[in-house]
Amino acid sequence: MIKVRIPTPLRPLTNGLGEVETDATSITAMIDTLNSAHPGIKDRLCDETGELRRFVNIYVNEEDIRFLMGKETSLKHGDEVSIVPAIAGG
Amino acid sequence: MTTSLQIPQAILDDMVAHARALDPYECCGLLAGRQGTVTQLYRIKNIVALEGVEKLSSFDPAKAAHLERLSPAERAEIAFVMDMADFSAAKKDIRNKGLDLQVVYHSHPHDPARPSVTDIKIATDYEEIWPKINLPIPAYLLVSLMDKSKPEIRCYWIKDGTVAATPIITTG
Ligand SMILES: [Zn+2]
Repeated sequence: MIKVRIPTPLRPLTNGLGEVETDATSITAMIDTLNSAHPGIKDRLCDETGELRRFVNIYVNEEDIRFLMGKETSLKHGDEVSIVPAIAGG
Repeated sequence: MTTSLQIPQAILDDMVAHARALDPYECCGLLAGRQGTVTQLYRIKNIVALEGVEKLSSFDPAKAAHLERLSPAERAEIAFVMDMADFSAAKKDIRNKGLDLQVVYHSHPHDPARPSVTDIKIATDYEEIWPKINLPIPAYLLVSLMDKSKPEIRCYWIKDGTVAATPIITTG
């Protein structure tokens, strides 16, 4: 199983869950699986062309997927994925 | 957690220059160094004007609703959202140089150099994220341009929603 950490701004879509589990084998598959279980989540993470939005980061074991294989980054049992919202303020 | 920060005058000047360059919009960035001594500044793009940004970033519903009613330019006068592609590039450079993240900074073009309610809320939400991405909890630095001729710089620790000012020691 792969643990996926859900940030506070997305928890309204996951019934308040801060962590979900998946057996997806890539980030793309993980996003699709998450979106089936929690409709709307994909739209928050990806733009119309499917690219990761610039105000979100996805880390696999502390490495940004932008420095791995992007959304094609593969996942294996025991990996930890963190979805991280942008640092922001007013 | 260190109690004071040492920041070279050149880096303080660079932050003020960044704030002035973006005025009346907010600027944002990171400072890195070792054990409370800053040696490196990273300017990060403020992408608050991007469509849909208020929905994903950490704004609470009231602030998000407020931002939604504003034009992109107006939003950038009262908020910032870091470009996380820039952030990750900076994070990688910080690690490659063997440094640590020390400070998250942003400017207040129209307000004092104190964290806003939104700043405190988001910093508090972020407390649990820093260790997950292998970074220490940073101090938060504010550059105020309320008095254009005399920018004010103040630094704070934000913990459990509590704000504590921390002195900045200017070094050559
Ligand atoms: Zn602020």
